[in-house]
Amino acid sequence: MKYTYKPSPNYRQKQSTISIMRDLTVCLLSIVLFATVYNAIRYGFATGMRVILMTAAAVITALVTEAAYFKVTGAKDIVTEVRHSFGWVTAIIMVLITRLDVSIYAIVISTVICIIFGKLVFGGFGQNIFNPAAFGEAIIMNSFAASKAANITADVYSGATPMTAMNSYGWVMENSVFEEFIQQFGGLGNMMIGNYPTVIGASCAILIIICGAYMMWKKDIDWHLTVTYILSIFCISLVVGLIHGEGLWFAIFNLITGGVLFCGIFMMTDPVTTPITIPGRMIFAFGAAALTLIIRWKANLPDGALYSVLLMNMLTPAIDKMIKGNQIKEAKQIRNEVIIAGVVCTLVAILVGAFLEGKTPVVASSSAPASALSSEDFSSTNVSCTDQGNGVYACSAKGFEGVNEATVTIENGAVKSIEVTAFNDTPGVGDMATAEGELARYAGATTSSAIDSTSGASFTSTSLRAMVYEALTMAGE
Amino acid sequence: MSLLTGPMRHHLDGHKDLTLTKPVLKTIDPDVVWIPLTNGNAPCKAVVNIGDEVKIGTKIAERNDRFFLPLFSPVSGTVTAIEKFMTSGMTQAEHLRIQNDHKNTTVRAFEPFDYEKASWEEVLDFVKNAGMLGLGGAGFPTYVKYLKPENVDLFIVNAVECEPYLTADYKNIEENISLLKTGTLALFKLSKAAKGCVAIKEDKVDQIAALKETFAGTPIEVRTVPNLYPMGWERTLVFQLTGKRYGMLPIEAGCILNNASTAIALGNAIDNGMPITHKYVTVSGDAIKNPQNVLVPIGTKAHEIIDACGGFVENMEDVLLVAGGPMMGKAIPNDQFVIAPQNNGLTVLKNIKNEEVKCLRCGRCTETCPSGLQPVRINFAQKRMDLEELETLSVNDCIECGMCTYICPSKIEVTEGVRRAKRFLRAKAAPGGKK
Repeated sequence: MKYTYKPSPNYRQKQSTISIMRDLTVCLLSIVLFATVYNAIRYGFATGMRVILMTAAAVITALVTEAAYFKVTGAKDIVTEVRHSFGWVTAIIMVLITRLDVSIYAIVISTVICIIFGKLVFGGFGQNIFNPAAFGEAIIMNSFAASKAANITADVYSGATPMTAMNSYGWVMENSVFEEFIQQFGGLGNMMIGNYPTVIGASCAILIIICGAYMMWKKDIDWHLTVTYILSIFCISLVVGLIHGEGLWFAIFNLITGGVLFCGIFMMTDPVTTPITIPGRMIFAFGAAALTLIIRWKANLPDGALYSVLLMNMLTPAIDKMIKGNQIKEAKQIRNEVIIAGVVCTLVAILVGAFLEGKTPVVASSSAPASALSSEDFSSTNVSCTDQGNGVYACSAKGFEGVNEATVTIENGAVKSIEVTAFNDTPGVGDMATAEGELARYAGATTSSAIDSTSGASFTSTSLRAMVYEALTMAGE
Repeated sequence: MSLLTGPMRHHLDGHKDLTLTKPVLKTIDPDVVWIPLTNGNAPCKAVVNIGDEVKIGTKIAERNDRFFLPLFSPVSGTVTAIEKFMTSGMTQAEHLRIQNDHKNTTVRAFEPFDYEKASWEEVLDFVKNAGMLGLGGAGFPTYVKYLKPENVDLFIVNAVECEPYLTADYKNIEENISLLKTGTLALFKLSKAAKGCVAIKEDKVDQIAALKETFAGTPIEVRTVPNLYPMGWERTLVFQLTGKRYGMLPIEAGCILNNASTAIALGNAIDNGMPITHKYVTVSGDAIKNPQNVLVPIGTKAHEIIDACGGFVENMEDVLLVAGGPMMGKAIPNDQFVIAPQNNGLTVLKNIKNEEVKCLRCGRCTETCPSGLQPVRINFAQKRMDLEELETLSVNDCIECGMCTYICPSKIEVTEGVRRAKRFLRAKAAPGGKK
């Protein structure tokens, strides 16, 4: 009989980091599955499969990158190292917070960079400063903004996301305008079940909340951070909404759109990059909530949740340093620190929100009476077309910011079809005009037709009309 | 416990049903007992010589430094040797070998004592000379706690027994409830407290009823506490019962605590004139064949108790033999150590290898630490040898309850890391240590 010595205690709970990561993976995969089914039903089987393809590409890249890294650094047991590094979680989260039209090569490159420079160089799992998934998505947003899988863009992201659409209104609007506004996304209830365009995984609020509740029940994630974050977002936007005379919708809209729920449940709860103590996590959550809303309302970015995570990650070591000693003896000081942090963050965010100014979306709406193409002045668009034979014309015209290109096919003196080959206006705004449904409206047009601009995307619409008119004119000569 | 600090305690799976309803095995009568001549870290001096005849209740040794503590023989027979070997606390100590003649001749150690009529000073003297010590695990001489009982609001008899597997206190109370009453009332008198109570876990429904009946008509209340660990620790228990925290000693919060077994031992000394000679010991765990409680003489070797409980389960080659419960008890690398007065369990566990993963900084150890520490940061600072940070983390408030290692999902030896940090700080603080 062998009597082994081990330091006490010799008693362990059942839950393990491996079981935590297993639960997290299951939750993330359920969201991947939802996104796949949703996109397949709405945009066709191939588009749905693209979710799987992107996830698989990211996960395989993450695993291969880690295996290669451990091989190079001379780890003894590469399989165990990879199993204990949980790179696939990073990969899946990164895919879920990215847009469906990001090309596979952008996914692969970002995964490699975020796994190596976001995690492994810091010393691997448990040592990284930044949330690696947020790090990866920031790379996609900043380096691969123009890289879009062309065949997907037109199909899926034709319309604006609620975030970008709301941005064009400056976030403040009459309650009655909102009711009309929200109808383009089927109302708030429709948004709760995820039936609207946004990043791959952040749409279905109900599914995300169920996943969060499950993981909190299993004690896989700490509820303090998530609940503080979500409540702060709700309270700040409720107060800001009241200041502007908005209804409850303002708070609910701020809560369920963008990445708030997904970030709050899947990214801020990443224990590696958030403070260790409960008071520290609450301070983190207050700061993240304020930053999310300030960036969202004021900065020229689609959403603030992602950057608020990254910014607060930087402060994590400082927050940890604040909470020291024996938490029982220092209870008063710790409580005061939390209250001060909460009050300051909330007040700053409310102050910023109080000075929001409503805007009318950039240019005219569809209600403006349209005139015949022949009577419009397209000189400012520098439109030009090249005859490619058989009634096909390759055209270009200046839109809002850049020059858009399209192929216009003319048959019997009328437009047969128009296909956008290059879109260089504001993504999420101008591309409302290039949606399939919108483009269909040009079919059959002649020089005497009157075609309405797409609401909120009139510059792009004008460039399209200019190209159509130019092609029709050339065909008529 | 608060919103900001986390629960600071946690429910553990107690496995107490393994031994709770089984009868106590009382037939163990070893041929030889070895009395550890030590109390705390202090040595005790034998007052008998090799070759002397002793009876059950003969005084055989005493501690006589800052504190006074007599030790008594648990068997009748002959003193044959003094040898040095490892105790259940994993320190080397001298043990007095007594050859048991199995005649069980007994000498009454004390004269009959009426604590009700005796003065406060007489009761204190009795407790001191009866060799009462903290039987919950500390082994601290009992009388010391009562030397200056000023402004005591609450006297607490601790029957919580929060270590997993252990049921020795429960069985002891079950069999000796009238002795508990005597001992508790004597200690209550000694404490000069305004109120007294017996604290017990709320799930021990039968025993709560029995205790209420026993203490009916006395100033002693029966108070229930939740089934959490470490509810039996002084600070956690005092906070649970009074809502007060304290600096060094519970008397700062107006409380004096003693273990239920200590009260029973005092009751036995008062009613029967006998000192601490035998001990209820829980033998349990997933690697012992017949888990049960045993009543053995002090100084019985561990292997004899294990043999009496049927040995290990089949095909067992590698076990952890823990002196005490699995949380705070030490795994001893042999089976030759003996039962000291403060031991109350032998937990025999399968040696399962845990799959250790890197720390994910989840902070569970911080939330459950009953002392409000941050074990994870102490571990990191210890690894970096970061003296400056360690000094801000109140390392020495740790009682090594084991909660951080228990809760750690990455299966890291967190408690051991904190111990290393303590040793590191001690070495730096010692004269000649590099600062």
